[in-house]
Amino acid sequence: MLENLCQKMFGRSLWVYHANSGGCNGCDIEVLNVLTPYYDVERFGIKLVGSPRHADVMLCQGPAMRSTAQALKRAYDAMPAPKLVFAIGSCACGGGVWFDSYSVLGPVERVIPVNYYIPGCPPRPEAIIYGVAVALGIVDKKTAPVQFRQMELPIPRYHPGELHGDGDLVVYEKMEKV
Amino acid sequence: MSVLSKLEEALVCLKAGKVTLPYPAQAQPLPEKFRGRPIFDATKCIGCAGCANNCPAREILVVDLCQEVRILQYLGRRCTYCGRCAEVCPEKAITMSQEFENGTNAIHDLGQRLEIFMSTCQRCGRCFKEPSVLEQLKMKGYRFDDVQNERWIYRSRAFLEEEKTVDDIAIELD
Amino acid sequence: MDRSTIWMIVAGLLNVGLVLLVAPFFQGVLRKVTARIQSRQGPPVRQPYFDLLKLLGKEDIESGETPAMQRFAVYLSLATVLTVACLLPMGFAAPMNGAGDVILLIYLLTLCGICTLLAGLAAGSTYSLVGISREMMGMITLEPLFAIAIIVGALHTGSLRLDTVLNGSVYATAGVPFSGLIMLVVILMSFQGFVQRVPFDISEAETELMEGPLMEYSGPKLALFKYAYMAKLVIYSTLFVALFVPWGSELAFPLGWLLFWGKVFVLVLLVTLVAATHARYRIDQAIRYFAGLLAIALVALVLASYGH
Repeated sequence: MLENLCQKMFGRSLWVYHANSGGCNGCDIEVLNVLTPYYDVERFGIKLVGSPRHADVMLCQGPAMRSTAQALKRAYDAMPAPKLVFAIGSCACGGGVWFDSYSVLGPVERVIPVNYYIPGCPPRPEAIIYGVAVALGIVDKKTAPVQFRQMELPIPRYHPGELHGDGDLVVYEKMEKV
Repeated sequence: MSVLSKLEEALVCLKAGKVTLPYPAQAQPLPEKFRGRPIFDATKCIGCAGCANNCPAREILVVDLCQEVRILQYLGRRCTYCGRCAEVCPEKAITMSQEFENGTNAIHDLGQRLEIFMSTCQRCGRCFKEPSVLEQLKMKGYRFDDVQNERWIYRSRAFLEEEKTVDDIAIELD
Repeated sequence: MDRSTIWMIVAGLLNVGLVLLVAPFFQGVLRKVTARIQSRQGPPVRQPYFDLLKLLGKEDIESGETPAMQRFAVYLSLATVLTVACLLPMGFAAPMNGAGDVILLIYLLTLCGICTLLAGLAAGSTYSLVGISREMMGMITLEPLFAIAIIVGALHTGSLRLDTVLNGSVYATAGVPFSGLIMLVVILMSFQGFVQRVPFDISEAETELMEGPLMEYSGPKLALFKYAYMAKLVIYSTLFVALFVPWGSELAFPLGWLLFWGKVFVLVLLVTLVAATHARYRIDQAIRYFAGLLAIALVALVLASYGH
């Protein structure tokens, strides 16, 4: 019964723990901006707490570095279930421009499972609020994969049986209609 | 005691009212030259891969399937929205839109994938874009019935196998 | 089961239930008014209810040195606060009036503070130990202030019974009640320390100590601790109103009761105003402040023993 109540109230009161594992602090400042009166995020019930044991959501910034990977994993394990992880910024989502550096292990996903991605360098405070609103279900997400194919049917289909000759010149004799 | 000055401070702040922007409820105006997500316009792209060369995060990956088909994949993960790809593109096929609301729960939502048909010059082998509309029509869906003129085909580096010609060709990047 | 026992049970349940119901509401009002003073739209007033309900359903991770002590500290803190609720008059006569006297009240109030120490000891990490050492130092200079106020009242009325002392007894002198007025000012100036709000919430400093003693608590135990924290505000406000602002408690049931809760609400607003406009003090600054107030309170005690 208590778990059901917790599920219902989860969206209304998220307690956030902020973990920076090696970033440049640009995204830190944007997260701090989100907590200021201008973009006040406390109106959704979100509060910044000081200990991962009190938190529901971990905001990760910065790529997973070799030196801080273990600490990040420990902070993630210390959070009580149910928990969410948000990766904020390009570094946390995919490694950023430092993805092939000697001390960077990669995106935060290599160390802990991530639920929501908020890309940007740094993401605007409105982008962070939008990401949180998508997680809470208030708005729909606006991105979808895009694919473009310039080759449409019919393209000449080359069946190996229809090719004669060898060397540089190969002759194609179409056997049947496509 | 400075209690009175603090109370004065409280009153001043109360008079300022509420400065919170009603953000998800109403959209807020953006600065003029704001750079959001890059949008790739595949009809203008000639497949030169200049954007891939210049991306500081190596976010645009280029693979040639065969001599005619070039796949440009933009994974949105590490993009820092710097705009160098848009600056370098000779055909102005990349525009930096003003979309910043990119939060999502699946990272492949941010990807854009272009499969470009590259024609090569028969003499020197360099790629060019079809100049005449008739040639473009032939590529895009006009059925050619005169097999005689089309009997000469270009030599492909990768031979397309029988099974794969019917389905889409999926390649694993990353 | 005669009338007095029935009255005790019913009124006790009413008091406890009211404190439990109203404590998160006052905390919500505190957060909302703080937000408005900072020019932003704050959380809805019902927010602490959502917080507590959500915390009750989370997973309970038992970490720290001694999990048994952790459980004990949590239950003891909420139990102490609710027992004090039964001893205080909240608009009508206190339910457990005959169960103890003023010394019991002082003891229970100090016990509320000791529970934080037990919690921090149970966690055993560096931040917790620093937090509880600061809390201990603060308590040494802070807790005697309310005790002195109650004793001043006892000296004036000559008895240690709860219903006589908690009825504005500090003013019960012939002539101008100097000691009463001095104690009123002293308690008003140190009230933030009793309810552990800014500028004196040194042990639960979030940014400095990662929430100090409460660091290792998660889920339901944290919910109970936060509940005790919110209820302390109500309890101390009730005690203050009963001791120093008792006028109007003679009115008949609905009106006197509403007036009482109105007074408590005004006091909570005052606490909010001070909390929203001040920064947190360092522990040495806080101790110096309380020690100064303690010296003034001792002067009031001497005056009270001479009948002024």
